[in-house]
Amino acid sequence: MFTETEIGRQKRRIENVMRIFFLVMTSLMIIPLLLIIGYLLYKALPVLSLEFLFENPKDNMRAGGIWAPFLGTIYLVIVSLLVSAPIGVFAAVYLNEYARESWFTRITNLAVVNLAGVPSIVHALFGVGAFVLFAGLGESILAASLTLAIMTLPVIIASTTEALKAVPMSFREACWNLGATRWQTIRRIVIPNSISGILTGVILQVSRAAGETAPIMFTGAVFYKAIAEGNLFAYNIAEQCMALSLHLFTISTQVPDVTEGIPYGTAVVLVGSVLLVNAAAIVLRIYVRTRKKW
Amino acid sequence: MENKIEISGLQVRYGDKTALNRISFDVHKNEILGIIGPAQSGKTTFLKVINRTLEFIPEATVEGTVKLDGVDIDTIDDVYELRRRIGMVLPLPVGLPLSIYDNVAFAPRTAGLRTKSELDEIVERCLQQAALWDEVKDRLDTLGTKLSGGQQQRLTIARALSHQPEILCLDEFSIAIDPVTTMRIEEVLKTLQTEMTILLVTNLVQQAKRLATRTAFFLNGDLIEIDTTDIIFSDNPGSQATYDYVNGTFG
Repeated sequence: MFTETEIGRQKRRIENVMRIFFLVMTSLMIIPLLLIIGYLLYKALPVLSLEFLFENPKDNMRAGGIWAPFLGTIYLVIVSLLVSAPIGVFAAVYLNEYARESWFTRITNLAVVNLAGVPSIVHALFGVGAFVLFAGLGESILAASLTLAIMTLPVIIASTTEALKAVPMSFREACWNLGATRWQTIRRIVIPNSISGILTGVILQVSRAAGETAPIMFTGAVFYKAIAEGNLFAYNIAEQCMALSLHLFTISTQVPDVTEGIPYGTAVVLVGSVLLVNAAAIVLRIYVRTRKKW
Repeated sequence: MENKIEISGLQVRYGDKTALNRISFDVHKNEILGIIGPAQSGKTTFLKVINRTLEFIPEATVEGTVKLDGVDIDTIDDVYELRRRIGMVLPLPVGLPLSIYDNVAFAPRTAGLRTKSELDEIVERCLQQAALWDEVKDRLDTLGTKLSGGQQQRLTIARALSHQPEILCLDEFSIAIDPVTTMRIEEVLKTLQTEMTILLVTNLVQQAKRLATRTAFFLNGDLIEIDTTDIIFSDNPGSQATYDYVNGTFG
């Protein structure tokens, strides 16, 4: 009764082949990632230490640590997200919850999608024109952060929109039927049930802001600048700063005879900080999934 | 008979599609008005006109007037107050992602009520009216979305009663509920009739026959006829289409 037919055998063969095919593709994705991180760690091991993190580069960047670029990147990320996160989130709330379908919202949504695909060097040129020159900010942390903010803004709007759309429309209708205003509906139902998705989208932009080199090269990042070691307030946002991404580029290509481990150590710190922040987003998502409300 | 709602020349269009075609009738105070008719005949649209939630559908346009207690609802500035005067129960149960207590307290709170004792009183009364109190009274802090479908629908009814509406609109409320619960709620509706006017949109013609004082028959956006339930369900209603629909020989 249950003897296998030719078609059954064939189905099973195809099933096995397909499973192996997908497994191979997954491995192709994971193996390079592990190799990169493993290789970086192996090469960086000789220089990695707390002093490496808290010392300025020395000897024309051939020795010492990465304190100045590390703190610079932190400044750039924080200031840019302080600008782009509120604007992006509130703009997305308006577009989703208030704006009616019209030519204005259609154009805005089109602009958001297209801006997200603009190469970062174009954002850099815009930043030079708008913030450094026109607004008169000069090359500064502020100008560079604003440029990064322009770059991350569309993605934050898009991810916030996704999070808001995940809240079923029927919840909103039920609230409206109960005589709630749009704001009451947003505050009591929509935001509490989308905040984790919104925050995840914002956190993921930390890694983009930290990793990009082009937007900050001409707007506020410098090759070298010594700052007070161990002082978290060593930078003034009206002045220029060093940044990890640019520093890595500099010591890898522009400076001869750099101690071998230093570029790798710099890369490890950059990748490590990004992974740490992304891990926070993942933990947040897991936490929320365990207490999903519908 | 005092009129609660007066509808005259009401026409609703979605783009170039007509959903309601110049209908006019009155709803009496404290009656249960059954509204029957096949899908796409404009019954739900009619309910959305009354509490002005049709305004959330961008392509919808409304002509004609609807008067509530003699006041044109288009001239009401506080549309949220209007919506609180009308309780709305939709076909599919929607438990808000809040506790059972907060679900029922939602509307009173949005209206500004903060006193704990008053909220407690409203929550208990409304859950009892919706025949849900005995099942949930020991777990009011669990999520409303975790209840079964039938319980969520009764929660929805409790919520619709929480803002003490003058008119209760039920749009095919029994789709997701078992027959026993449906009967319990039908009993509740009969007692509520003394306090409020009830619009009962239903696909179950027998439900209209059981409950309604008068019944209106909608078909493709037209009001075919409205009369006492006895006449609509008799052998001689005003229209052959009504007779065919009520007796299941329609279409």
